[in-house]
Amino acid sequence: MSNLVEIENLHVAFRNDEGGYNDAVRGVSLTLGREKLGIVGESGSGKSLTGRSLLGVLPPYAKVSVDRMSFDGIDLKAASPRLRRSLRGGRMGMILQDPKFSLNPVMTVGKQIVEAIRIGDRKVGHREARARAIAVLESVHIRDPESVFNLYPHELSGGMGQRVMIGMMVVREPDLLIADEPTSALDVTVRTQVLSILDELVSRRGMGLIFISHDLNLVSKFCDRVIVMYAGRIVETIEASRLSEAQHPYTRGLLSCLPHIDGSLEPLPVLNRQASWAEA
Amino acid sequence: MLEVHDLNVDFSGKIAVRNTGLTVRSGESFGLVGESGSGKSTLLRTVMGLNGSWSGTIKVDGLDIRKTPRKQLARVVQMVFQDPYSSLHPRYVIGQQVAEPMRINGLPNPERRTAELLELVGLGGPKFQFRFPHELSGGQRQRVAIARALALSPKLLLLDEPTSALDVSIQAEILNLLNRLRKELGLTFVIVSHDLAVISYMCERLMVMRNAQPVETLTRDQLRAGEIANDYTRTLIAAA
Amino acid sequence: MSTTEIVADPRHAVRAARWAEFKLFARRFMRNPLGVAGLVIVLLLLFAAAFAPWLATHDPYLPNLTSRLAAPSAEYWFGADELGRDIYSRLIYGSRLTLLIVALVIVTSAPVGLIIGAVSGTVGGWVDAVFMRITDIFLAVPKLLLALAFVAALGPGIVNAALAITLTAWPPYARLARAEALVVRNSDYVNAARLAGASEFRIIVFHVIPMCLSSVIVRMTFDMAGIILTAAGLGFIGLGAQPPLPEWGAMISTGRKFIFDQWWIATIPGAAIFIVSLGFNLLGDALRDLLDPHLRQRK
Repeated sequence: MSNLVEIENLHVAFRNDEGGYNDAVRGVSLTLGREKLGIVGESGSGKSLTGRSLLGVLPPYAKVSVDRMSFDGIDLKAASPRLRRSLRGGRMGMILQDPKFSLNPVMTVGKQIVEAIRIGDRKVGHREARARAIAVLESVHIRDPESVFNLYPHELSGGMGQRVMIGMMVVREPDLLIADEPTSALDVTVRTQVLSILDELVSRRGMGLIFISHDLNLVSKFCDRVIVMYAGRIVETIEASRLSEAQHPYTRGLLSCLPHIDGSLEPLPVLNRQASWAEA
Repeated sequence: MLEVHDLNVDFSGKIAVRNTGLTVRSGESFGLVGESGSGKSTLLRTVMGLNGSWSGTIKVDGLDIRKTPRKQLARVVQMVFQDPYSSLHPRYVIGQQVAEPMRINGLPNPERRTAELLELVGLGGPKFQFRFPHELSGGQRQRVAIARALALSPKLLLLDEPTSALDVSIQAEILNLLNRLRKELGLTFVIVSHDLAVISYMCERLMVMRNAQPVETLTRDQLRAGEIANDYTRTLIAAA
Repeated sequence: MSTTEIVADPRHAVRAARWAEFKLFARRFMRNPLGVAGLVIVLLLLFAAAFAPWLATHDPYLPNLTSRLAAPSAEYWFGADELGRDIYSRLIYGSRLTLLIVALVIVTSAPVGLIIGAVSGTVGGWVDAVFMRITDIFLAVPKLLLALAFVAALGPGIVNAALAITLTAWPPYARLARAEALVVRNSDYVNAARLAGASEFRIIVFHVIPMCLSSVIVRMTFDMAGIILTAAGLGFIGLGAQPPLPEWGAMISTGRKFIFDQWWIATIPGAAIFIVSLGFNLLGDALRDLLDPHLRQRK
C-alpha cells in the first residue's frame, strides 16, 4: 500500500526583527497511510505549520523548503499553484479549531455547503447540491438537517458548528483530512461526540486523517499512530496503543505532568527541558 | 471566609446564575467546575465585584461586598484572570504593574515588596522587573498576574481558569506554584475550571455547575471514591 | 536574601527598557522605504523652518521692482514674484508659517479630542451621551464655513485661521479615542486595576489613554497633511495669513494672475504643499502599519 502522504525534511522559517530567520519547523519527515495520525506538541512546536504546509496555506512571508512532499503520488513541491488549489478542498480538507472563525458569518450553513459542493463540480445543479448537503448534515448526526440548513453560523452551538465544518470538508469525499485542534474549543461532553463522528467518517470513507492537538491523552485514545513534536522537530513516533512505553523524555514528561482525578496529590512532575531535545 | 446566599445574576434577560449558594472556609481550596455557559465564571466575577446586576448576599471574610468600600475589599480578596495575554497592561514593565496596587493604596516601600513578590513567584533576578509583558511567555505572564494579585496580601484568591490558556507542562508549574503559595501564605482559594482533573488535584471541595445552577457539591475524597450523586457529574468524570 | 535587585533608581531602568523598545520600533520603521521618505520630507520641513535665515538667499519681504517676475536663474533659484521677491526664500520662510499652523492646530485639537473621547468611552452613561452629541455637532460643521464666520467676526490672520481649523479638527480624535476606550475599559488589566482600588481618573489617565495614543498619533500625521491643505486653502481665499507673509497658499493665490507666462510663482508653492502633504501621508501610513494592532503582520 503506497503512502497517501510523504514529507521529507520540511523546513518553515519566518523573518524576525533582526533581519534573520526564526526556524519554526526544522527537518520534519513523516508518512501517512489511510490511518489516523496524531501530531502532538505544545505551542510553538510547529505542528500546525506542518499541517498547513502540506495543504499549501502558509502566509506568503513564510519561507518553506522541503526535499520531498507528495500526496497520493502527486509531487506537491513541483505542483503549480492551480493544481494545489484544486487539490485543496477536493482531495485534501482541513478543519480548524473554532467554527466561529472558519464559517462565513453572513451566509447560511446550507448555502456554504452547497457552495463547497459546486466549487468542486460546476455541473452539479442546485437541487442535487442541496440534497447532497442535507445528506452530509445527516451523516454528521445533525438531527433535523432541513432546518439547520437555513441557520446562520452564530445560531449554532460549538459542537454543531464543528460538525457542520466537518460536513463541509467531507462532502467532496477527500482522501485526506487535516484537523487542527478540532475539539479544543468544545466542552468535554461534546468532544466525545465530535470525535466519534470523525472516527466514523474516516473509517467508512477510508480517509487519511492528520489530527493535530496539544492533548496527548486525547490523541492517544483516538489515533493509530502518534508523532510528538518539540521546537520544530519530531522527537518521537510511536503507536498510540504503546504510548506508555514512550522513550523520549519529553513525551514521558508530557504524560506525567498531567493531574488525574485519582492521581497523586504530590507536586506535579515538571518538565526539565533539555537543550538536547531541540537538536538532532 | 466566603459566603454566598441566593445569588441570582441576570444580564438583561439572560440568567447567568440562578439560586446559587456556597460557603468556603478559611484556608480551604474550593473548586467550581462546569462546561461553558454553566455560570461558574460569572459567579466568580460577581463575588469579586465585577458585575453590577445581581441579587442575594455575598460576604467575604464577614464583609458584605455591597456595603464595603472597594479599597477595603481589595485588601481581602483578589483575582487571577484566565488569559495571561490580556491581563497585563501592554505598555508598562511588569515591576510597575506589580507595584501599582501598592501605590494606589499608599503602601510603603513598593519596590522592596515588588522584588519579594517576583522572587516568590519564581521571577526573581535583576532582569524581569523591567521587561514588558510581550517579552514574557504565557506561563511567566501568569506568574506576574499572581504576584500582582498578592501585592495587597489578600486572604482570599479567586482564580478564573488560571491555566486553561497554558501548555500542559507550564500548567504543572503554575499549579505547583499555587499550591506552594497557598501553604506558605495561608491563603484560601476558589478556583474555576472546566477541567475536572485540575480541580480535583487542586481543591478539597468542589461544586459542579450546569446551566446557571449548582448540580452537586462534593469533596475530593467522595469524587475519588466514586460517591457521585448526580449523573451529569458522572459524564464529566467519564469525559475527563 | 533576595536575588532580585532593589534597583537604586527604578525610573532610570524603566526608561532604559522603554528606550530599548523604541529602538526596536525604529528599526522596524526603517525597513519601510516609503515611510522613511515621508520622514525625510518632514525633517526637511523642520530643517528649513529652523534654519531659514541661513538657508534663504534673499530677504523674503523686501520688494525689488527691477527683478519683477524674473524667471528661475542662478540668482533667483525659483524665480521672483510680482514684487521681485525671491520665491525660494519666501518658500523657506513660508515653511515656518506652515509649521506654525500645523502645530497650533494639532497641539490644541488632538489632546482635547483624546481626553474627551477617553473619558467618554471609559465612563459611559450620560457623560458619554452628552460628549458624543457635542462631537456630532462639531463634526457637522464645514471647516471653511466656520473659518469664514470666524474671520467675519475676528478678522483674518493666521491665528484665527488656526482656531477655526481646530474647532473642526478635534472631533475625529474624540471618536477614535472613544472607540479604543470602549475596548480597553473591559480588558482584564483595567479590571485588575479597579480591583486594587484604582479611581476612574487613574484608570483613564494611566490605563486607557496610553492605549489610545497609537491611533491618535497615526491620525495626527494624516491630519497634518490635511491641515496644510486647509490652511493653504484659507490662505488662497485670503482668510489666512495676510500679505506680505510668505504663506504658501497666499503665494499661490497671488500667482494665479501670472500662471501662464510666469508659472513658477504659483506652481512652486503648490509643489511644496503637495510634497509636504505627501510626506505626512507617507509617514502616517508607515506608522499605522507599525502601530495599528489590527494590521500587525510580520513581513
